[in-house]
Amino acid sequence: MLKIKDLKAGIEDNQILNEINLEVNAGEVHAIMGPNGSGKSTLAAVIAGKDEYEVVGGSIDFEGEDLLELSPEERAHKGVFLSFQYPVEIPGISVSNFIKTSITELRKATGMKPIPTKDLLKMMRDKMKLLNIKNGYLSRNMNEGFSGGEKKRNEIFQMAMLDPKLSILDETDSGLDIDALRIVANGVNKLKSKNNATIVITHYQRLLDYIIPDFVHVLYDGKIIKSGGKELAHELDERGYDWITKEANKK
Amino acid sequence: MSLIENLKSYSEGINVSSDKKKLLTSFFEKGFPTIQDEEWKYTSLKKLISEDYSIGKNGSILSDLDISNHSLGFENKIVFSDGKLISTPKIKGITFSDFSDFECSTADTFLQLNSALANNGFTIKVDSNTIVDEVIEILFFTNTENSFNQYRNQIIIGDNAEIKFVEKIQNLSNSTSFVNHFTQIDCGKNTNVEYNKIQNNTENSKLIDTMNIFQKEDSTCNINTLIFGGSFTRNNLNFEQNGSNCESNMNGVSILDKNQLADNHTFVDHKQPHCTSNEMYKGVYLGNSKGVFNGKIMVRQDAQKIDAFQSNNNLLLSENSTIDSKPQLEIYADDVKCSHGCTIGQLDEDALFYMRSRGIGITEAKAVLTYAFASEAIENISILEVKLLAQKLLAKKLNVDLDFSV
Amino acid sequence: MSEKKRQTEEELLEKVTSAEYKYGFTTDIESDTIPKGLSEDVVRIISAKKNEPEWMLEYRLTAYKAWLEMKEPEWANVTYDKPNYQDVIYYSAPKQKPVLDSLDDLDPEMKKMFDKLGISIDEQNKLANVAVDIVMDSVSVATSFKEKLGDLGIIFCSISDAIQEHPELVKKYLGTVVPHRDNFFSALNSAVFSDGSFCYIPKGVKCPMELSTYFRINEAGTGQFERTLLIAEEGSQVSYLEGCTAPMRDENQLHAAVVELIALDNADIKYSTVQNWYPGNAEGVGGVFNFVTKRGICYKNAKISWTQVETGSAVTWKYPSCILKGDNSIGEFFSVAVTNNFQQADTGTKMIHLGKNTKSTIIAKGISAGESNGNYRGLVRIAKGATNSRNFSQCDSLLMGDKCGSHTFPYIEVKNNSSKIEHEATTSKIGEDQLFYCNQRGIGTEEAIALIVNGYCKDVLNQLPMEFAVEAQKLLEISLEGSVG
Repeated sequence: MLKIKDLKAGIEDNQILNEINLEVNAGEVHAIMGPNGSGKSTLAAVIAGKDEYEVVGGSIDFEGEDLLELSPEERAHKGVFLSFQYPVEIPGISVSNFIKTSITELRKATGMKPIPTKDLLKMMRDKMKLLNIKNGYLSRNMNEGFSGGEKKRNEIFQMAMLDPKLSILDETDSGLDIDALRIVANGVNKLKSKNNATIVITHYQRLLDYIIPDFVHVLYDGKIIKSGGKELAHELDERGYDWITKEANKK
Repeated sequence: MSLIENLKSYSEGINVSSDKKKLLTSFFEKGFPTIQDEEWKYTSLKKLISEDYSIGKNGSILSDLDISNHSLGFENKIVFSDGKLISTPKIKGITFSDFSDFECSTADTFLQLNSALANNGFTIKVDSNTIVDEVIEILFFTNTENSFNQYRNQIIIGDNAEIKFVEKIQNLSNSTSFVNHFTQIDCGKNTNVEYNKIQNNTENSKLIDTMNIFQKEDSTCNINTLIFGGSFTRNNLNFEQNGSNCESNMNGVSILDKNQLADNHTFVDHKQPHCTSNEMYKGVYLGNSKGVFNGKIMVRQDAQKIDAFQSNNNLLLSENSTIDSKPQLEIYADDVKCSHGCTIGQLDEDALFYMRSRGIGITEAKAVLTYAFASEAIENISILEVKLLAQKLLAKKLNVDLDFSV
Repeated sequence: MSEKKRQTEEELLEKVTSAEYKYGFTTDIESDTIPKGLSEDVVRIISAKKNEPEWMLEYRLTAYKAWLEMKEPEWANVTYDKPNYQDVIYYSAPKQKPVLDSLDDLDPEMKKMFDKLGISIDEQNKLANVAVDIVMDSVSVATSFKEKLGDLGIIFCSISDAIQEHPELVKKYLGTVVPHRDNFFSALNSAVFSDGSFCYIPKGVKCPMELSTYFRINEAGTGQFERTLLIAEEGSQVSYLEGCTAPMRDENQLHAAVVELIALDNADIKYSTVQNWYPGNAEGVGGVFNFVTKRGICYKNAKISWTQVETGSAVTWKYPSCILKGDNSIGEFFSVAVTNNFQQADTGTKMIHLGKNTKSTIIAKGISAGESNGNYRGLVRIAKGATNSRNFSQCDSLLMGDKCGSHTFPYIEVKNNSSKIEHEATTSKIGEDQLFYCNQRGIGTEEAIALIVNGYCKDVLNQLPMEFAVEAQKLLEISLEGSVG
């Protein structure tokens, strides 16, 4: 589904990603871990197409297409979803209005008719149940006055509504208490299928107790320095990052 | 000929009272204001008044289709065609009649001209204790090419009455038109009034609209101004609070492109204690458009316990758009809470990216954010039809096929 | 908190018994004055008395001719009887001249006066590390630390000396930021200025001490027209302080100064003023008319920061401004303006953004009491080419008593669509819950007001150098005494 080859990217003159290689297939869950400043969020932003990052080398192939050629919205139309680490507040726009606009645009891009508002609202209510979201939420303004947990839940709610092929969860667990974490993880698990894939970015092992990854990658200094199965996450939790970074530096 | 010359030759051909003659003489001596005049510092009338206008001519009769095409669909309509009042509704407790003269301050040049020469308009008297649920729609049509029209309207609202209006000025030809519009509203005690102005006229239309509102105690008056069309729009909105516990609310939304200019002048005169005013003006500027805002809050001595709030927010979305803003506070009483805020900026890049990452195209994302920016003011409109129209016009102006009504 | 600061705050809490103007004494010094009135001859006399070169006389005469054709501005929100410009003495110098070689030679009377003013021009001054130029009536009488500054190439002297000794610099920069035709008062000043300060900081030099000028009007019926010119060469840095006082007199005295600042590439100028001209008595009689033009120009990456604490004068008309010509340049304006009794102030700033990425900040705090009127008037202009410029303005007004007024007149003009401007203004009464809270803790109302006002002005007072901050705090308190009945 996603093939990243020798990806180099940065901001202005500062190169943050140095030759990233990653392959994600349908049905898989990948975890990307790493200390602060290792380039995790940059990777997520580059996949989603944030302007301020400049790709200086390498490629990203998504289902046979060159993702780097596409605008952020086109990437979303293809099924790429980024759950933001810091979801943006948009005063004056209700959650329902926002999601309706988003879905209508996604459908338009793939030549589908808009869903009637009534059906859409019903769909929203169904998904709200999935995430234990209370009534009244739809008419609140996008992320305005939301607590940290509410914002993250709103991201997963949108993910549920948009049904993407590839979901990238950027630090979705940070700032969540254990109950909120369980709800969010539960939601992610229920949305999982053999046709979609998930990349979980985190620096805590905690989330991976609930969203079990098939692969774990350690990102350090803009490079994936180690990959392994879910047991790697546990090892990291016990031993920290130092041993890997030392190992990597030796090489 | 220029407008002054048009006016001169028009006034020579009619009979006016000696008082009006005095006003005219003084008007012709002074002429129109220039940018040296502090109140016209940012808005030049030069081009506007150099054009040739026809005055006092009647065009073809309106068809029902013209009316229904431009109406918001309310049953009760007041309709004018080239100055002539052609239809009024029948509502219990309200008297509708044709133009009748009344006194007003003539310090302002356009009011002076209006006082001297206007002979069209309406008079509405609302009896005390009349609560009108239906909205009254007022439509002014211009049929004649290159016309200059003046309206002079008065609304007198009896104590404890409640009423809502929607007003539209519509040019049916594609030629230029210039309207000098004046409306005075007298709000009785404990009244509740809402007046909506939809300024979405054709490309070559010019408008100078002055509204003077006099409020008695316990009255609430809401004025909403929506500017989408017209090449030149100047609104002078003046509130005078003459009793305690008055509330004056103003909302404005301007979405301009091409060479449009919109100048909103507002003035709230707090003369009595325990009153409030709320003002929210949002401007969005595209193309070569120009915005001007001049908002003044005055609190007189002894008008204690005043809460006055004013905000003017602007988005400059194109390279050649400009804005001049002059929010002012003049406060002579101490126990007050008054504030104003003015911002000028662009759409938030992070929010744009967020939306695009949700699959919303850049034009649509910008439109949604622009709507979000303006929505605070639009949400304050109580009439659903007006709100929906504002949303529709906004989408149209921004070239998107989006429905903001969810 | 430093010991000095704590002492000040403690002092603030002490009840001051008299609200009278503290600097209202005259000094008995013989002076050399010319007759009242203004004419071409008077301009020539002033120039001749100062032994000026021909070009300087020409400059004055051009300005005088321009002034004759100009009208006194009326747009400010102040009312006063316009001065009779033929009734003013345009030149008055203490007879004891020329400038002293050593401060020990100073007239004992004058020394006494400086002590009363709290200006240290001797030992304690050296400790405080402030170089002072003193302008009494129209003439610079003493400049300290000249030599020490000279070692670094810094020129700090009276403008008269500068005209004699550094004519090339004066000629190059005088009138370039405030042209003589700029306004009525700048034209008048350009014609008749008799002295003021001149300061030149060479390339790359960081001035090691605060430079300070003290202005005092002493002689009755004199106008004071000082001229300040400050040039900061590339990469240099300077902090400049200005203080003003005048004796109590029944008639109005005229003060029309011009200050020009030039900050060349990467230079940094901080200009602080504590203005305490005699405000008139509690009935509104007397007091100084303060009509001042202050403006600076910033070249690339340069910064000019104006800080002012305005407590004096009967009428103030003053808008320290920045022309942000160079890319990335920065302008700042921090102001506290207090009016009491019958004082009127119309003050604010202009930030003219011309270069790219230019930034400006405006923090203006007004306090009105008694029957006074305070006005903030400001202009933020973003020119078409000022890409990515930023302005933030905050104008707050505090009202004490129901006879005073406070007004805000900002002008915002934006012609560039990548710039961001934020302007906020509030007007409110001093917080009654805050006063009550203080009262409940045993703090009297006057002290509580001093505390609250001090807190309200903190953002501005913090910008002042320590020596001035102390004085400014005291001044604020004295100005507001008796404002709550």
